[in-house]
Amino acid sequence: MWHKISWRLLKQELRRGELTIMAAAIVLSVTAVLSLALFTERLQAGLTERSAEFLAADRVLSSRRDIPQEWLARAQDEGLRTADRVVFNSMAFANDELALVDVKAVSDGYPLRGKLRTAQQPFAPDQVAQGLPAEGEAWVAAALFQELSLSVGDSLEIGNSQFEVTRVLTYEPDVGFSVFTDSPNVLINYSELEATGLIQPGSRVRFNVLFAGDTRDLSRYEEWLRPQLNDDTHNWRSIEEGDSPLARSLRRAERFMLLASLLGVVLAATAVAVAAQRYCQRNYDVVAIFKTLGGQRAQIQKIFILHLLLLTGFSIGTGLLLGWLIQGQVVDLVAQYFDVNLPAGSGRGYLLAAGTGLISAVMFTLYPLLRLIEIPPLRVLNREMTGTDRWRWLHWVASGGTIYLLLWLYSQQWLLSTALFAGGALAAVVLLFVSRFFIRASRQAGMQAGSAWRLAMAGLQRRAQGNSVQMLSFSTAIMLLLLVLALRHELLADWQEQLPDDAPNYFLVNVAKDNVPQLKERFAQRDIAVNEMYPIVPGRMTAVNNVAVVDEVSKEDNESDKAPSSEQREGFGRELSLTWRDTLPPNNTVVAGSWWGNEPEPQVSIESEVAQRMRLDIGDELTFNIGGQVVNVPVTSIREVNWGSLQPNFYMIFNTAVLADFPATYISSFNLPEERKSELYELFKPFPQVSLIDLDAIMEQLREVIDQVSIAILFVLILVVVAGMLVLLAQVQASMEERQKELVILRTLGAPAKLLSRSVTYEFLVLGAISGLIATLAMELSLYILQTQVFELAATFHWRFWLVGPIAGAVVVGTMGRLACTRLIRRNTAQLIRRLA
Amino acid sequence: MLIQTTQLRKDVETSEGILHILQPTSLQIEAGETVAIVGASGSGKSTLLSLLAGLDLASHGDVSIDNVKLGDLDEEQRAKIRADKVGFIFQSFLLIPSLTALENVMLPAELAGHKEAEAQARELLSKVGLGDRLTHYPNQLSGGEQQRVAIARAFVGTPKILFADEPTGNLDATTGHKVEDLLFQMNQDSGTTLVMVTHDSELAERCQRVLKMDAGQLTEVTRDVA
Repeated sequence: MWHKISWRLLKQELRRGELTIMAAAIVLSVTAVLSLALFTERLQAGLTERSAEFLAADRVLSSRRDIPQEWLARAQDEGLRTADRVVFNSMAFANDELALVDVKAVSDGYPLRGKLRTAQQPFAPDQVAQGLPAEGEAWVAAALFQELSLSVGDSLEIGNSQFEVTRVLTYEPDVGFSVFTDSPNVLINYSELEATGLIQPGSRVRFNVLFAGDTRDLSRYEEWLRPQLNDDTHNWRSIEEGDSPLARSLRRAERFMLLASLLGVVLAATAVAVAAQRYCQRNYDVVAIFKTLGGQRAQIQKIFILHLLLLTGFSIGTGLLLGWLIQGQVVDLVAQYFDVNLPAGSGRGYLLAAGTGLISAVMFTLYPLLRLIEIPPLRVLNREMTGTDRWRWLHWVASGGTIYLLLWLYSQQWLLSTALFAGGALAAVVLLFVSRFFIRASRQAGMQAGSAWRLAMAGLQRRAQGNSVQMLSFSTAIMLLLLVLALRHELLADWQEQLPDDAPNYFLVNVAKDNVPQLKERFAQRDIAVNEMYPIVPGRMTAVNNVAVVDEVSKEDNESDKAPSSEQREGFGRELSLTWRDTLPPNNTVVAGSWWGNEPEPQVSIESEVAQRMRLDIGDELTFNIGGQVVNVPVTSIREVNWGSLQPNFYMIFNTAVLADFPATYISSFNLPEERKSELYELFKPFPQVSLIDLDAIMEQLREVIDQVSIAILFVLILVVVAGMLVLLAQVQASMEERQKELVILRTLGAPAKLLSRSVTYEFLVLGAISGLIATLAMELSLYILQTQVFELAATFHWRFWLVGPIAGAVVVGTMGRLACTRLIRRNTAQLIRRLA
Repeated sequence: MLIQTTQLRKDVETSEGILHILQPTSLQIEAGETVAIVGASGSGKSTLLSLLAGLDLASHGDVSIDNVKLGDLDEEQRAKIRADKVGFIFQSFLLIPSLTALENVMLPAELAGHKEAEAQARELLSKVGLGDRLTHYPNQLSGGEQQRVAIARAFVGTPKILFADEPTGNLDATTGHKVEDLLFQMNQDSGTTLVMVTHDSELAERCQRVLKMDAGQLTEVTRDVA
């Protein structure tokens, strides 16, 4: 019988709109979590797929040795596509000239992600290449045409083989961002590799296998492969790893979305918590009546638990449907806008969303429900009776535990969840005290004001305890909104800075010292701004503190599987581009030691990640082989480098005394708009040896990715705003119930509607303004921590928010309060009294 | 004896010490009797009613209903007694706002597990003249109609005792009289014992016995029978 009563109550209450706030809170939490989870998952997959172009694959396994065939067979069994890519340096001959080139031999299917582009002539318009160079053919980068005075159709000799140059290589997806160290590329077919005779034990070759396929197949394969990899010889990479500007942007966006989603989840959960409290309070009388009419405790328990579960189930269902629709719409929008297809989401999002709804509803209702069941029947005669309070501790444990659990469920990261939770709990306690203080202070201010003000201030003070809890949820909601808003702004600004409209889109490499003034002059004549010229001296690091580094796979190494001994460090395995200068380059910060200024003693400054990887410290003596000459220099500083900037960055910078006498070439960058591309040929005609690297394609992709992420962030922001609004609404509704009795009495005593609605509006205005102020303070502190600790951004002060926070708080909370109050006052007094009876 | 109290006392603790809101009271009510408890506001009438109905427990002494001592029972067992033997009518009607008139009347019978709750409720509602308002919600009914629903609800489980707390207190005089008539009529038809708290002396006069409560002290009012 009890289930009939429960069902009837739910049906009628739903129909009469009495459960709207509770249902809306659950619906919203489910909708928010589902659409966030699905959308971010799909977007992430889409972005990864898109950005995988930068690797030409989803995953790359590189090795200094040939990669076992059975690993490839296994990958194909798992449903993955694979392609071989072997890269090595070699001398290339043509027209009686020679040059050092990067030879890339690739097998069918390459590139697995992205497209190769080629042109008929250097600097001619390019198009997507069909297939790969045929046997006996080579596609060659434009730079080499200049270096070897090549023309299409010429013959190029590499090792034992002759190749006919058939096309100009203009774009390889996997060219990467480290453009400064690469020699011009020659692309040949993998089948030609052996004939060149260049792959010998001990030769400096990088064997790569590219993999592409479904995420699940990839992770299954990865799981199988990982244990078999040898860290010393194998390197397994995906696009999220690494130091490219793209990888950084992606990681940052990922962190932002995770954080914002978490905040959205917390907000939605808060709305459920506020609504749950109200839901139970509304039913106090019903329970008292049930008990008076002879309802057994167990019956009532069952009735309300079923009622709540039915309501939760209904809301979860609605939320899932809405969430699915919303994310579908957004995905469609993104797909239209960017011409990408986002892969379908997994079932995890649905589980997570339904779980969030269920957990929030059950856990946040636990204590109010226990209180509800305990309501004494005597309440029918004495309306003040609200039953026992002995479970209050349970409320805090359940609510805190739920929030923590939700954080963990969503992020699957203990550390992040704990940090957010601890920070939030601390903030809540501080907010509670601060809001008490403000309420007290506002009372002082209100004493002298007019009568609506006095009424408002007296109300604020009288409900100080209740108000400080309300203010806590107002402040939390406003703070989280401001936080997401500010963070979005910071991220976008940072990306914008990274990719300004005039970001260099060309790099100049191999400029002879004598050509520098002439080149600068030609640029000036055409009104093209060219950036600083960096001298480059190629050199190889050979020893640290007189212990030789292990630099490449030697013949002996190849025969035995010997790893470097513990004293030995692994070297770079290639020549480095060394530079010298007196001043610290932009985007560099010294983190240990000090910059040399004008000191004449030889010294070197190293990049921090290299220092860490090679266990180098200040005072270590490094030995370099530069043009056959051995140079010893002590490390005097370690620099952090912003790899995100599309600027020349160096692992090793020397002071002028060390390198100035070595023959150097120069590199630089400049921006040339697309429509002026045709001027390039004229510009570089007098400097045939200068190589030009076109970054437009890379930057275009980077921009697109950032645009997509920005849309995603906007979407997350909107959801967080909706969640925040719902918390505010639920809280205003709840606090109106408290004020209702007082309002009815005042109304009955003849207080004009205007006075009442004004005093309520003022009260909410003040509450909102104070909450906004506290929220801004909390936001500024949280943002400082997030910027410096999580997002690797510089800390900034947001003075605008100090204005926006309190004003927005006052306006939004004030308006909601006024609306709620107007609705109440519009009823006639008799109706109001009956409501209270 | 249907209701019996012995030395029933209720104290409450206040900041100024213990307040005796009900002085030791002994009372017997026979089955089928109609009893009015009158007195000024705050005299302790409602306290007595809540103790008699087992909604609250006494500080001292006990109440027996049908020879069952309520003080020996826990909250659950007392609820069972109410479900089986007691009906209520309140001044503020106390209908459940989200249930229709019919559903409100069915409720006690359903809680007690009666199979024919609906049929019984329909019959009672047409008896109180609301046969055509079955699907109306409380806020769609006038005060008098709401109290008639409450009366129907009170009789639905065929209780032995009916407790009424100022049943006409929220109604205008004309409606109040109609509700009174209905209440007494139905009470008479079903032979229920009626215990009613009121400060309406006219209403009290319609009961067989009148008890007066004054500062927690209960006295029997003797009447001249004409």
